[in-house]
Amino acid sequence: MRLDLTILAPHLGFLAEGALLTAQVCALALIGSVVLGMLVAIARTSQRKWLNRLAFAYVDLFRNVPFIVQLFFFYYGLPEIGIYIDAFTTGVVALSISGGAYASDAIRAGILAIDDGIIEAAEVSGLSQGTTFTRIVLPIALRTSIRPLGSVLINMILTSSILSTITLNELTGNAKIVASDTFRPFEVYVVLLVVYASLTYLVSLGITLLHRWLNRDMQEQVN
Amino acid sequence: MLKVENVKKAFGGTIVLDGVNLTVNPGEVVSILGSSGSGKSTLIRCINGLEKLNAGRITVDDFDVSKPKELAEARKRSGTVFQLFNLYPHMSALQNITLAPIEVLKRPKAEAEAEGRALLASVGLGDRADAYPAQLSGGQRQRVGICRALAMQPRYLLLDEVTSALDPEMTSEVLDILAKLAKSGTTMVFVTHEIEFARQISNRIVFLEKGVLLVDLPTAEFFSAEGGLAQPRVAQFLSKMRKD
Amino acid sequence: MRYTEFTPFDLWLLAQGLGVTVGLFLVTSLIGVAIGVLWGVVRFYRVPVLMQVITFVAEVLKNSPVLVQLFLVFFGFPAFFKLNMTPVNAAIITLSLNTAAFVYVIAVSSIESIGRDQVEAARVFGLSRWQVLRHVIAPQAMAFSIGPLTALLVNQLQVTSLISVIGVMDLSKIGANLNLRTLKPFIVWTAVGILYYLAAKLVATLGAKLEKRLRAHSAFRGL
Repeated sequence: MRLDLTILAPHLGFLAEGALLTAQVCALALIGSVVLGMLVAIARTSQRKWLNRLAFAYVDLFRNVPFIVQLFFFYYGLPEIGIYIDAFTTGVVALSISGGAYASDAIRAGILAIDDGIIEAAEVSGLSQGTTFTRIVLPIALRTSIRPLGSVLINMILTSSILSTITLNELTGNAKIVASDTFRPFEVYVVLLVVYASLTYLVSLGITLLHRWLNRDMQEQVN
Repeated sequence: MLKVENVKKAFGGTIVLDGVNLTVNPGEVVSILGSSGSGKSTLIRCINGLEKLNAGRITVDDFDVSKPKELAEARKRSGTVFQLFNLYPHMSALQNITLAPIEVLKRPKAEAEAEGRALLASVGLGDRADAYPAQLSGGQRQRVGICRALAMQPRYLLLDEVTSALDPEMTSEVLDILAKLAKSGTTMVFVTHEIEFARQISNRIVFLEKGVLLVDLPTAEFFSAEGGLAQPRVAQFLSKMRKD
Repeated sequence: MRYTEFTPFDLWLLAQGLGVTVGLFLVTSLIGVAIGVLWGVVRFYRVPVLMQVITFVAEVLKNSPVLVQLFLVFFGFPAFFKLNMTPVNAAIITLSLNTAAFVYVIAVSSIESIGRDQVEAARVFGLSRWQVLRHVIAPQAMAFSIGPLTALLVNQLQVTSLISVIGVMDLSKIGANLNLRTLKPFIVWTAVGILYYLAAKLVATLGAKLEKRLRAHSAFRGL
């Protein structure tokens, strides 16, 4: 009963492969959920009632059903209707859709926080709705919502471990294999906890820096 | 010509504009006075199409602001400066100014920027082109706001209490620029509380009271005993404002 | 297992699974809230070492996947400490501690939300630190924390679904079994999803009601 971490040394490369896959899945799913989140945020702030309701239903549904249920729905359900995609793609799709629900809330809050006067200034200067949205609304909203979006990403990294249940060999999936090969599950999972915690810590550090950098010009000058 | 004809506007049950008529000819400076809640700002917001009219008609060089197809043309001809500046916080002073000329008027970027820099220089901000709104003082922000409106080369400049959010020193920075613009023949519709200043630069002064346009007179007549001052509400307003 | 159609008995199975999910959710929530609040009190008293240990543990629990925590407890603990661990026990330990970590954060911020001046004023009147905690801080902190706590519990309800991975017969596990047997993934996972959704809505509604009550109460007492 001694904690011996050296037994993990031969497996570090294998675990790193898993970590890389986790990073890939999360990077793709982050892009997916921010894009989806933007579209849904637009829908939720739009004047059209049906669009509004549809967007709300999506957010409400995917925030209140466990991710593993969503994942199995896609993983087992899609082949049923003739869509054959691999575990990696299924994982990215499921994470994007579930992350999109959270991202849309973050972006929506950013949009709602924008001063009406700024939009009016754009309107009277003749900018089209599309230009106003892409040049004014979105850049301002993204700057303010970068922190909540960071939380979405951190949550996504943690949630991605669940993809191991659909045979995707990301970090947790590979760790499971190492644990059963070495018969040392305690060591493996302790290290895994620390690795995930450090990973998310680094990400949150990065988010803080990004937030500061993006908003560097919007800080009030101290006179 | 900018024409306001029998315009009515209500918010819910509150009537804010009640049959207002006003004509502004090119080259004129028209100041709109009135106590707060008299409908002055709403009138400006109707002219630039931010508020929909309940009745009446507003045309800017014959383009009807109530018709979606003509509103864009009408807006190209008028530029608005806001009380709270409403600058785009994520863009530099120069970007604030050049955005609409590049996007709406399709001006080449280099040209738009050269003109933007020239405008900034003309209001004494030549060295702050790359500063962001948060890095500027209130007076500087409003000067950028004026440049942003002028960059579209509007035929009519609409000014909505542009100095109300500024302290006296900054107010004079901004008023100096407006005086210069007036002298150079810029057409202006000027909603303000600065009575003395309005008297110096305006050709005509209009007085609004509870959504009704009570007085519309050339400046000298407005301040004369038998002209504007003959109206009890105007006299009352002027004496109150001067006391403050 | 043979592939067969749905039978009326499957409804009973689903109900049982829901019962296990809700039961474990309630038990682990109670334990988690108790531990989390206790940790918050330790921090309030600024107990040296213990306070730092708690903060560290809470950080790791918050920033690592629940699935990995579950694996550590279920596979790692028996191997390392040579003890017996049933899936249900592993589930209770993991979910309780995980909930505790988040409750701890809520407790700390609720206590901090109460102005230092209030605490100092009470101390000046000769109240002990415990009396301040009980009579000044606790009632206010409770009203303050009920909103975040509800959001947390709605989330933790979904997290319970992960215990299906180590074989606890909860709603998700029943879903997985039905899915395997009937090969009707859309129907199975939709039904399971709806049950989770309804349960989540129930928790959210109860939380909102409680918050309304507590707030009315504290407002009245504030007069």
